Amino acid sequence: MATLTLDRKSALRRELEAIVGRGGVLSEPDELLVYESDGLTLFRALADFVVFPTSAEHVAALVRVAQREGMPFVARGAGTGLSGGCLPSEGGLVISLMRMNRVLEVDYDNQLAVVEPGLVNLHLSWAVGPHGYYYAPDPSSQQACTIGGNIANNSGGPHTLKYGVTVNHVLGLEVVMPDGEIVWLGGKTRDALGYDLAGVFVGSEGTFGIATKIVVRILRKPQAVKTVLAVFDQIEQASAAVSAIIARGLVPAAVEMIDQLTIQAVEDAFGCGYPRDAAAALLIEVDGLRAGIEAQCERIVDACRQSGAREVRAAADEAERQLLWKGRKSAFGAYGRVSPAYMVMDGVIPRTKLPYVLGRVNEIVAAQGLRVGNVFHAGDGNLHPNILYDPRKPGEEARVVAAGAEIMKICAEVGGSISGEHGIGLEKSDFMPFIFSAADLAFMQRLKTAFNPTGLCNPGKVFPTRKSCGEAGPVAYRPHPIEERGLAQRF
Amino acid sequence: MQGLLDKLRATVGAPNVLTGIDLSPFVVEGRTPDVVVLPGSVGEVGAVVQQAAAAKVPVTPWGGGTAAAVGAPPARVGIVLALKRLDRLVEHEPGDLTVTAEAGLTLEALQTALRARGQWLSLDPPEAERATIGGLIAANASGPRRHLYGTVRDLLIGVTVVTADGSVVRGGGKVVKNVAGYDLPKLFIGSYGTLGIVVEATFKLRPLPEDERLVGVTFDRLKDAGAAARAVLAEDLIPNAIEILDAAAGAPLGLGPVTLVVGFDGLREQVEFQASALADMTASLGGRRATTLPASAWTHLAAPARDAFASPGAVMSLSVLPTMVADTMEQGTEAARRRGLASAWAAHAGVGAVTGAVVADREAATVAAVLAEWRVIARAAGGHATLAWAPLAVKSQVPVWDDPGPAGRIMQHIKAQLDPNNVLNPGRFVSGI
Ligand SMILES: Cc1cc2nc3c(=O)[nH]c(=O)nc-3n(C[C@H](O)[C@H](O)[C@H](O)COP(=O)(O)OP(=O)(O)OC[C@H]3O[C@@H](n4cnc5c(N)ncnc54)[C@H](O)[C@@H]3O)c2cc1C
Repeated sequence: MATLTLDRKSALRRELEAIVGRGGVLSEPDELLVYESDGLTLFRALADFVVFPTSAEHVAALVRVAQREGMPFVARGAGTGLSGGCLPSEGGLVISLMRMNRVLEVDYDNQLAVVEPGLVNLHLSWAVGPHGYYYAPDPSSQQACTIGGNIANNSGGPHTLKYGVTVNHVLGLEVVMPDGEIVWLGGKTRDALGYDLAGVFVGSEGTFGIATKIVVRILRKPQAVKTVLAVFDQIEQASAAVSAIIARGLVPAAVEMIDQLTIQAVEDAFGCGYPRDAAAALLIEVDGLRAGIEAQCERIVDACRQSGAREVRAAADEAERQLLWKGRKSAFGAYGRVSPAYMVMDGVIPRTKLPYVLGRVNEIVAAQGLRVGNVFHAGDGNLHPNILYDPRKPGEEARVVAAGAEIMKICAEVGGSISGEHGIGLEKSDFMPFIFSAADLAFMQRLKTAFNPTGLCNPGKVFPTRKSCGEAGPVAYRPHPIEERGLAQRF
Repeated sequence: MQGLLDKLRATVGAPNVLTGIDLSPFVVEGRTPDVVVLPGSVGEVGAVVQQAAAAKVPVTPWGGGTAAAVGAPPARVGIVLALKRLDRLVEHEPGDLTVTAEAGLTLEALQTALRARGQWLSLDPPEAERATIGGLIAANASGPRRHLYGTVRDLLIGVTVVTADGSVVRGGGKVVKNVAGYDLPKLFIGSYGTLGIVVEATFKLRPLPEDERLVGVTFDRLKDAGAAARAVLAEDLIPNAIEILDAAAGAPLGLGPVTLVVGFDGLREQVEFQASALADMTASLGGRRATTLPASAWTHLAAPARDAFASPGAVMSLSVLPTMVADTMEQGTEAARRRGLASAWAAHAGVGAVTGAVVADREAATVAAVLAEWRVIARAAGGHATLAWAPLAVKSQVPVWDDPGPAGRIMQHIKAQLDPNNVLNPGRFVSGI
């Protein structure tokens, strides 16, 4: 799209205001700055407009204007994404769903809720909590991220080990298609009629349209919960304990691993009671019926001890349990204490490859002269190496990106994936060839065309953009068109 | 045709190209295929599809044939592409709780191998000894334990397919959590072979439970069983199945008139506790005789309504809100009775998956009228209905699929993008696909 002239821009602004109201459009560069990146600050890009619709009809009308103008558009939730997914990669329209944040309906008998996309994940659990229900997918960002963003990224969380990721909890969606038509995909009943369009839409990273209503399952809160902290002197022992738990036929609700660097950062910041000298800790939770919960807990303790844990303790009460989880959930924040910046990776590997890959990750990062902290969903093999760096030091960012690429390559080599929950977005698009062939990507591209024929709905995401698909370098430095126009800059 | 046959024989070997009398097991809705081909490798599957596409002959993928009669009658069956020879268990790593298998492996063979190592694929559709992995995915088959463990969409993590142009495409992967690229596995589930031929699949597995038990409770009325099912859902119990069977469907279990069957698994103490809690709870809701059923009852629960008649006149699957299950069964029974026909009903009640079977009748129009009414009932209960099985005379009067509304256009766009020449199973699916 050509740069908008000032006249054109103010005419468009008036048109957008006619749709969403005067308080619903931002177009001044200083206002737009807030929306120039998501949780991954390596990428920045300025939109021409940020608009705040309050209904599906608004969204549809906005999308039609964008199509008429040949202007790219992208949905934005809370902007906590970690792959640059909601960035306006070529200017155009950012459609913020934050004013569509209501719980529209809760049907406890059928265990479902209908919500708007801008609803914050945790607020749904708050809304249904008094009746003894909750919404299971629990990304660590759940206090901020929206259900719409969760849908787009098929987000997971610690408890997805037992309860599944977002898609396992979505029954249907009302979607504004990229051509502006409002369509229901799936509905309130379980079995799809025809292709599972709702299932395919989830995880499409905002490239198939904009969800405006979402039917999700709500679950009864478990009768009992037990949380165990196991402490290890060697990280290999902690990995072995994960396998030992699985081998005993147990399905814990969560198995999270926290390494030494992270433990120390967390202890410095919050003092959650993790031993500072431990090489690694596992946070393991079982839930379900009160009957049998002790027995499961004993088996887990046993598996950890057999694997060499030096200390295993169960949270004595809810307060201690919350404290243990606080350590896990605030790990990202704690890195801020030990490093000016960090970049989180999101590879997935077969669980049995944990010891090997963790070793390789440490080697790769050390070879770049950097440090890494690991805090991750060990139970399903979803790694989160956090590479610490200082953006002010010349060349350090490039080394982070290079290490990240190598880590993704290792994950691919052991039969894993380059993203378990954060999505491909802008960040990993050039690494897709690590795990997909040209034929795979061409097929996905055709699927995208079926939903999004003009390509204006969230362009530039998911698919590799570089000509040579095999070798990928430091993608973070790709100059952005908007940057070239002097409208935005990276640090 | 002769030219094509020669090419097919050259590709897969003459013994793997069936013609003439050998075609009879592969007749679909009275239509005989031109030829049946049994490729022995993914490469051969691709070559056969290319040859078919070049000759403009439709391809009908074939697993165990258990769902071959689902769908609108085909104009031409063309080439039946049977996956039977692709039946390897490719990889099972117990520590990863995943398995990769070729599409032609039967579910029973897979489960046997997994059980030997203490694990299972948590799907229990009917006819596991015939149903293949590929067919299971294409037909989105499920059984009673879907209540707790979900359906194929909750377990399939990777697929390899041969597409309409004969190329090999992979989606998903081999790890249990993965958001790289679009979720192609979801696209193929329930797609009835219209978008590609599944040749290999990877699933999440579960450990075998230590203990499992089925408890049957007798009720006088469907309404009461429905209320009891709802009460179970609202409790802290974690059943793996909640089934309601009417008199006809429940007869083989020796209970009834109406039977609520609830399954529990887990540690022995969990099963014990739940079974007795269920007995107490249902007793206060008009339930009688909470009885432990033999493990063999599980098999019966996969398709009890269909099995109620030696030769049913039609079978319909109704997907409704869980709270509407008993009403749907009652209204469906009444709709058939008004036309003088007996029907049998069963439901995976907790997930709203209801099946009705109507007895055969000389008048196809009468059966068709009943089915049309059942569809109205399903819609009123917030859902939709699919004609799972019916003779041609009935199918010509009642559409197999419900109308998906505007979403149907998106499905057509997907089909047009992925199979532009309409090679794969043309004309049998939703919205004319
Ligand atoms: C500290 C921290 C911890 C995190 N922990 C986790 C974790 O444990 N698990 C996990 O999975 N993720 C995690 N994330 C990543 C992030 O929170 C999730 O990806 C989340 O789902 C993004 O939601 P959002 O509302 O912020 O979406 P945004 O960042 O605003 O957008 C994300 C994507 O969704 C699209 N989108 C937004 N709304 C819609 C809509 N209505 N319709 C269609 N597309 C839409 C956007 O276009 C974009 O592609 C974490 C992030 C942070 C910062």
